[in-house]
Amino acid sequence: MATVSVNAVRKNFGRVQAVKDVSFEVFPGEIFGLLGPNGAGKTTTIRMMLDIFEPDAGEISVFDGRVNEAKKQRIGYMPEERGLYKDQPLEQTLVFLATLKGLTESEARSRLVGWLKRLDLFDHRQKKIQELSKGMQQKAQLIATLLHEPDLIVVDEPFSGLDPVNTRLVKDIIEEQRQQGKTIIMSTHQMYQVEALCNRIVLINNGRDVLYGEVSKIKRDFSGNAIVLEGQGDFTHLPGVLEARRQNGAWHLALGSGINPQEVFRHLARQEELSVERFEVAEPSLDDIFVRVVQEGKAGQEASYA
Amino acid sequence: MRKYWLLARHEYRKLVSKRSFLVGTLGFPLILGIIMAAGIYFSIEGDQHRPIGFVDHAGVINTAVVPLTDEGEELLPLRPFPTEDAARQALTDQEIQVYFVIPADYRHSLQMDAYYWQDAPSESAFQDFNAYLRANLASDYPDRLQPRLQEGSDLTVRAADGSREFNSRNVFNFFVPFFAAFFFIFVVMSSSGYLLQVVTDEKENRTVEIMMTTVSPGQLIGGKALGLLAVSLTQVAIWVLTGIVAVLIGRIFIEALRFITVPWSLLVVIILFFIPAYALIAGIMTAIGSAVTELTQAQQIAGILNLLFLLPFFFAALFLANPNSPILLFLTFFPTSSFITVMMRWGMSTVPLWQMALSWLILVASALGSVWVAARVFHTGMLRYGQSLSLKEAFTAVRPRS
Repeated sequence: MATVSVNAVRKNFGRVQAVKDVSFEVFPGEIFGLLGPNGAGKTTTIRMMLDIFEPDAGEISVFDGRVNEAKKQRIGYMPEERGLYKDQPLEQTLVFLATLKGLTESEARSRLVGWLKRLDLFDHRQKKIQELSKGMQQKAQLIATLLHEPDLIVVDEPFSGLDPVNTRLVKDIIEEQRQQGKTIIMSTHQMYQVEALCNRIVLINNGRDVLYGEVSKIKRDFSGNAIVLEGQGDFTHLPGVLEARRQNGAWHLALGSGINPQEVFRHLARQEELSVERFEVAEPSLDDIFVRVVQEGKAGQEASYA
Repeated sequence: MRKYWLLARHEYRKLVSKRSFLVGTLGFPLILGIIMAAGIYFSIEGDQHRPIGFVDHAGVINTAVVPLTDEGEELLPLRPFPTEDAARQALTDQEIQVYFVIPADYRHSLQMDAYYWQDAPSESAFQDFNAYLRANLASDYPDRLQPRLQEGSDLTVRAADGSREFNSRNVFNFFVPFFAAFFFIFVVMSSSGYLLQVVTDEKENRTVEIMMTTVSPGQLIGGKALGLLAVSLTQVAIWVLTGIVAVLIGRIFIEALRFITVPWSLLVVIILFFIPAYALIAGIMTAIGSAVTELTQAQQIAGILNLLFLLPFFFAALFLANPNSPILLFLTFFPTSSFITVMMRWGMSTVPLWQMALSWLILVASALGSVWVAARVFHTGMLRYGQSLSLKEAFTAVRPRS
């Protein structure tokens, strides 16, 4: 049974339609990516899911029903808007938040020691939050999310502000939680992290879910819509190509919907000023897919305005 | 219930450990202690142990007649002088602190003169000489009348229904309702700042989202308000305790303090009205804090709304002239002004039971309503970083959902 089920939810703020139609399900033991460009409606969807906002339409079910006070204790949430009590000591703040989530004070303290040591914060536990660096505050926030051992973990941009070492550490922790059977929803713009961690994703654009399913299947579906080529000349303005970027000496071209790689090949062959040394139909990265879907959505929107 | 307790405890610990709380709370007892010590020092030291001299041309005072005194009370010794010159010399030599000259026609004129140099004699010198004089004048009357004549009149005014009593020897009790009113104003002023901070703190610290996925808005606001109430009560308890200690010490030296009795019925009324009045303030301040983005903005609005609680003081003269006037009756029932109005009317007159009951019910209903409104406004305004709620949005937030 799905831990979270979001069905055709809608949310307006005055005249602004923040979420128009979003549906997805998240199951235990998976890391689910909630993706979308800035202002797409991701955070609003999360807030509706966690009962911070009430949806105007649609249905949301968490642990087989609406979120209530008892269910809140089974949820760990790391919001995009980070924050802990700045003028309070780290240990005191984390123990307080854990007790609100149902732990006894002694339980919270004993569990906290391990987390603080693992995340290199043990020596800073008596410091006020405002005295910690941004990265340390980020790690403290992760402890606040996980200390009460929640069954549903929602993390919004968990890697922002972290150096590569700590990014690796947080990634390991998220993977560990998945292995323990927890349900994890991760919202991030770092597509390579999504590719590395997520089993399934939903991509929200302009308040609608435009892409939903397993990462591997989505990539398969989009293969043929990307080309890797090497050669001499400017490959940035080819017809049918949405985006062209250079990476490790090769050009990665994202093709528009319905564009056959053969058409691009024929066009290249006709161009005397361009020489092609390697031409390969590529499985697109999630990043390419993201860009393509978002740009197509933008183009469609502009067409409808026109 | 556990979450209310945890939130209240967290808020309490946070505020009590602040330096401003310690200074504010301990400052009052410290100042009171200094004043008491100074008063006691000046009453013990100084001239008060030196005898009182007198020159009796009317033959009124017989030093063998001893006035009635309370147990443990000691009067200053009397020292007669045959002539005014002898008395003046003793005063110059600092053998006495003052001397009285009783003229020959004293029994008709009831006038006499007191002489002292630059340093004024102690208050007890006049009181004690008055006691000697009363005792001597009363000594001609039968024994059973003497205590009555020496102690003088003791006027007690009682309300017709027996609910209130005012005794001339217990002036302190007259002031208790006014102390309560001023205390309430103090609490309004100090707590409203903290209450505003409670919500704006959550916004400024960006902790709202974490809290909202942990507790309900009602639990958050309620728990924090309870914590603040406990902080205020701690402050009051420390002050009241200091006051009690001060009275217990002070009554050894100051006669008026010996007649203080505890006005239990008033205390019950104070407690009954104080708790819902505090909840009302908490609700109003939380709603303001939720609707705006910064503390300074909230303080400006709260400053204006605080006037609603101070309303009765604008009609202070009316409390003296006509404590039962229609305006004061209105203020008795108006929730923000009811606490102070009931206290002030209690001090000046009596408040009918039905008026107090109705006033209390309106206050409790308003308090519950304000907390409910605050929770709704908080729920709507909590995630508005950098953008205040408009009045229309605030009304929409509290409008029943269809």
